[in-house]
Amino acid sequence: MQHDPAVIAGVCLVAEAAIARAIALSPGTAPQLAQLHPVELAIACTNPTIDVFLVINGDGEINVSSYRETEPTVCISGSSSAFLKVASASDPAAALINGNIKITGDTAVLMTLQNVLSDLNIDWEAPMVDLLGPIVGHQLANLIRGLTTASKVAHQSARRQLSEFILEEGRLSPPRAELDDFLGSVDDMVLRVDRAESRLKRLKNRVDLLSGASA
Amino acid sequence: MMSTHDKVTDDTTDFGFERVKTGEKAGRVREVFDSVAARYDVMNDLMSGGMHRLWKRFTIELSAVRPGQTVLDIAGGTGDLAAKFSKLVGADGHVVLADINSAMLSVGRDRLIDKGALSNISVVQADAQYLPFEDNSIDCITIAFGLRNVTDKNKALASMHRVLKPGGRLLVLEFSKPVSPLLSKIYDTYSFSALPVMGKIITDDSDSYRYLAESIRKHPDQDTLLNMVEDAGFVDCRYHNMTGGIVAVHRGIKG
Ligand SMILES: C[S@@+](CC[C@H](N)C(=O)[O-])C[C@H]1O[C@@H](n2cnc3c(N)ncnc32)[C@H](O)[C@@H]1O
Repeated sequence: MQHDPAVIAGVCLVAEAAIARAIALSPGTAPQLAQLHPVELAIACTNPTIDVFLVINGDGEINVSSYRETEPTVCISGSSSAFLKVASASDPAAALINGNIKITGDTAVLMTLQNVLSDLNIDWEAPMVDLLGPIVGHQLANLIRGLTTASKVAHQSARRQLSEFILEEGRLSPPRAELDDFLGSVDDMVLRVDRAESRLKRLKNRVDLLSGASA
Repeated sequence: MMSTHDKVTDDTTDFGFERVKTGEKAGRVREVFDSVAARYDVMNDLMSGGMHRLWKRFTIELSAVRPGQTVLDIAGGTGDLAAKFSKLVGADGHVVLADINSAMLSVGRDRLIDKGALSNISVVQADAQYLPFEDNSIDCITIAFGLRNVTDKNKALASMHRVLKPGGRLLVLEFSKPVSPLLSKIYDTYSFSALPVMGKIITDDSDSYRYLAESIRKHPDQDTLLNMVEDAGFVDCRYHNMTGGIVAVHRGIKG
C-alpha cells in the first residue's frame, strides 16, 4: 500500500521535534552527535513499506525525513513486526542483532549512534499535541509510550548497549507484556476508526443531500 | 504533443471563474495578495489545518538540496520554503526568495530577519514568466501554491527551465484534483463555502478567498500539469499526490 507522503511527513516532523527536545535536555549529546556528521541512518520497513532516514547535521541535530537520494552510512531493514519486537524487547540491542532485522553498511557507526541515543529521554507527546491537537496527539503518544518507555523503565538496570552486546553472545529476547498492551491499544484504535468511518458515511449522505438540493 | 491547457489563445485568460483581459490578470492577482499579505500566514494555517507545513516539508525532501547549492523559490511569498532552504544550503550556498508582489516579499523579509536567516538569502521582486536570472545558473527551483496565479503557466515553466542548470530540478507544489469523488465533494463544499467566510472574518476580504477557491478549481489536474512540465522540456517528470490529491507535487529535471 502506498502511504500519503503528507502523513509520513507528519510522522517525521513529530519524531524530529521529539528527538530535538530530548537532545536539548541532554547536555553533551549534541556535540557527540556533531562528531558523527555526516552519518545517515536508513530505517527501511517493509510491510507496510515505510522508509525513514535519520540524518545527522554539523550542528549535532538529527533530521528525520522520508526521502533521500544519498547512500546511507548504515541501513537497518525488516518487517514492521520485526521492528515492533525490537522496540518492545527488554534488550533492544540484542533484539536488533538476533531478530529478523538486516543491518547493512557501517555497523560500528550504528553502535556509536545507539550509545549516544540510548540515554535520551524522548517525549513524543508535546510535539504530537502541537501537530495533531490535544485529543489525537495524546492518544498516539500513549500508544508509543506503551511501546518504548514501559520497557525502558522496567529494564533500565538490565539494559545493555549494542556495543557490549557484540562483545558478548547474543540471545533472543522473549516477547513482552508491553506488546500485549500495545496490541490492546491498537484494537482500541481500530474501534475508533470504525466509529469515525460511520460518522464519515453520515456526512457523505448529508453532502449528497445538500448537493442534490443545490443542483 | 503540446498541451492546450492554459494556452493564452485570444486576449483573455481566467481569473478564478471570471475571464479577464490577459494584460489584467497580473494586476488582479496582485490586488488579491496585497490584500491578504499581512494575515497570509495565519490564513494558511487555518485554511489547511496546518497541512501546508507537511506538504512543504515533503516538497523540501524531494528537492534533495545539498550544502553549497543555489535555490530559487519563486512565488515564494512570505518565505516559508526559503527559510528551510537557507539552512540546507548552508553558508556556501545561496537562496533567492522571489515573488511578483512586494507586499508579500516585505512580510517575508521581516520574517526572515526575525529568524536570523537572511545571511544567505536574497529577496528579489520578479515575475515567474520572465525570470531575471542567467541561463543555467540555478540548482533547484520551487514554486509552491504559485503557478495557478501566473497568467501564462507555459511561459513560466519555460523560463524556469531556462535558468536551471542541466541536471537541476523543478518542484511545483500546487492544489490539484482529489482522487476520490467523495473527498472532492467535501473539499468543494469546504473551499466554496467555508473559505470565503473564514477569509471575511480574518482578513475582512471574502473576494480574495473566493478567488483562491476558484483558481484552485481552474488549475490543471495532475496529468495535465505533468504534460505541461514535459512540454517545457523537463525530463524524468513525475508527481506525488498528497492528502488524497488535494495537493500534488510535480517534479521535473532539466536534461
Ligand atoms: C498562495 S501564495 C504562495 C506563497 C508561498 N509560496 C507559500 O507557499 O506560502 C502565491 C504567491 O504567488 C505570487 N505570484 C503570483 N503571480 C506571480 C508571478 N507571475 N510571478 C511570481 N510570483 C507570483 C503571489 O504574489 C503570491 O505571493
